[in-house]
Amino acid sequence: MKSDLRAIGGNPPRPKPGPGFPARILRLVKSAPERQAIASGQVDAVIDPRDGRVFLLPDVQQALNEDQARVRSLLALSSDWFWEQDEFYRFVSHTGAASGSSGIYDESIIGRTLRDPPFDSMSEADWQAHRKLLEWRATFRDLELRCSDRAGKTRWVSISGEPTFDAQDQFKGYRGTMRDITLRKHSEARAQVSRDKVIGRAGGEQRVGQVPGGGAARGVFSRKNSAERKHQERLLGLGRKVAKEGSIANGLLAALPRKDYRRLLAGLEPVTLTYGEVLFEPGEPIRHVYFPNDSLVSLLTTVEGHHALEVGLVGREGLVGISLALGIDVSSVRALVQGTGTAMRMNAARFRKEFRKNLPLQGELYRYAHAKLAQARQTAACNRFHVVEARLARWLLMTRDRVRSDEFLLTQAFLADMLGVRRVGVTKAAGDLQQRKLISYSRGKIRILDRKGLEATSCGCYEIIENL
Amino acid sequence: MRLYIANNAPNSVLAVANLEAICREHLKDHFKLEIIDVLETPLRALSDGVLVTPSLTKLSPSPVAKIVGNLSDKSSVLHALGIKESVE
Repeated sequence: MKSDLRAIGGNPPRPKPGPGFPARILRLVKSAPERQAIASGQVDAVIDPRDGRVFLLPDVQQALNEDQARVRSLLALSSDWFWEQDEFYRFVSHTGAASGSSGIYDESIIGRTLRDPPFDSMSEADWQAHRKLLEWRATFRDLELRCSDRAGKTRWVSISGEPTFDAQDQFKGYRGTMRDITLRKHSEARAQVSRDKVIGRAGGEQRVGQVPGGGAARGVFSRKNSAERKHQERLLGLGRKVAKEGSIANGLLAALPRKDYRRLLAGLEPVTLTYGEVLFEPGEPIRHVYFPNDSLVSLLTTVEGHHALEVGLVGREGLVGISLALGIDVSSVRALVQGTGTAMRMNAARFRKEFRKNLPLQGELYRYAHAKLAQARQTAACNRFHVVEARLARWLLMTRDRVRSDEFLLTQAFLADMLGVRRVGVTKAAGDLQQRKLISYSRGKIRILDRKGLEATSCGCYEIIENL
Repeated sequence: MRLYIANNAPNSVLAVANLEAICREHLKDHFKLEIIDVLETPLRALSDGVLVTPSLTKLSPSPVAKIVGNLSDKSSVLHALGIKESVE
C-alpha cells in the first residue's frame, strides 16, 4: 500500500512519450548489455546522462498511470476520508471523495486538532487522555467524535490513526481514516430508546434524538472511566505525569530499539488499571500481559489460612505476566493493582508470537525476569529477618520509585497484607515513622516527607532490590 | 548491493522479487541491499554510473559487477554476484 501511494517523483520533470521515443532512448544508451536488456523488454526507464532526466518506456508509463488511476478510484469508492496530522496533531491534509459531499470535513479542518471545532465532543480530560495515547505513539482505533457540518447539523465520525516516522525514525505525525457514522449513532439511539420503553424506563437517561456515548473511544477512554479515574487520582493524590514528547513511559518498552518497539505497538492497547483491580489470580491463565506506564501492580502469593503476602512490585520499570515469557501461561501469583494509572496491554497469544520474533524484547525480558527472581529471593529473606518498621520503609520507598510520587493511597489492612504482618504491627510501625516525621499518614493517604531519613530506616534490602 | 528501480514499473517490481528470492535462497542474511528509486533520486543513479533500470550493482566483495534487466535469468545473476550454484 505504501508504495502504491508513493508520489511518482517529478524531479526533474519527465517528457511525455512521443513518436520516435524508443530511438531517442537507444541513442542515450551506449553499452551492449544495456541495449540488449532494452531490446528484450527488461528495462523500465533510462536516465539521460546529460541532465538526469528520467525517461519511462511508453508501456511502463501507461502501467504506472493505470496504477495511479487504480489507487485514485479505490480512494473515491471508499466511504472513508484519509487524513494526515503533523507532529502537533494538527490536520495537514485530507483526501477522499466523501469529504466534499458530506460537508463535515472541508478545508477549515487544516491546522486544527480533534479538540478544536468542528469537533465538539472532547472534554479536556478526554483530550488529555487522547494526547497521552498519541505521545506514546500508539495506534488508536474507532475514536468516536461529534462534530458539526457546514449547515450546523450534528454529525458523528469514527477516527482511526497510526503514527508515522521519517527515514531517521523521527516522529512525523499521524495518519489515518475517518468515517461518517451519524446514521449508526442515530439508529443506536433509537434502539436504546425502544429498549428503555420495553423495560419501563422510557423518559430515563436517553431521550429521542439524543445520541449516546459522548466523545468516547471504545476501550480507550469513556466519560465514565475518565470520571472514575479522576476520582481515583484525587484519592491517590497521584499527579498524572504526561510522558515527555516522544518518550515511552514503560522502561522495558523504552529500552527496545525504535523499530522493534513500533512492531510491538500494533498489538499493544492502552488501558486504565484501577486501584484494587485483580489482573489475575494464582492458577488462572494469563490472558494479557501489562506494561505499566504510571500504574503500580503488586504480586501477591497466598498461603492457606493466611493473608496474602507481597512477593513483587511492578511499575513502569516492568511487565506484569513475565511468566508468559518463560513459557508458563498460568499465573502463580495474584496481580493486584495498587496504584491507578495506565498501562499498555497485549493479549497472551500475540505476546507469545511477538516474543518469539523480537530478539531485543527477549533480551530485555530475560534480564527483567532475573531481576524479579532476585527481588523475590531478597523479599523472602527480608520478610523473615527484618523488623516491620524497616520493611515498611523499604516498601514505601519501592512504591515511591515506581509511581514517581511522594504521595499514595494505602490502607493499613493493605499494608499488613503487603508486609505479611498483623494490622496492629503496621499501625505501630507507621506511627513510629510518622512520629519521626519521615512520613505523614492520614485516612489511608501516605506522604513521604523525608526520603533520605526513610532510606536510613529501611533495611539494606531496598538498595539491593533497586540495584538489580 | 544496490538495486536501481523505477517505482512500481513492471520490470522493477519483477527485479525486486527475483533478487529477494535469490538472496533468500543463496545468501541467507549475509548481504546488504539498498533499493534506489531513480524517479526519486535520479542523480544518485547517474553518479553511480547507472543509466537504465532495473540495474543491480555489486560493490563488495570485489570485483564490482553490474547486471541490467529484471534479473529473471537466475544463473547469470548468480554468476555476476560470484555465487556458485549448488548442484541440485
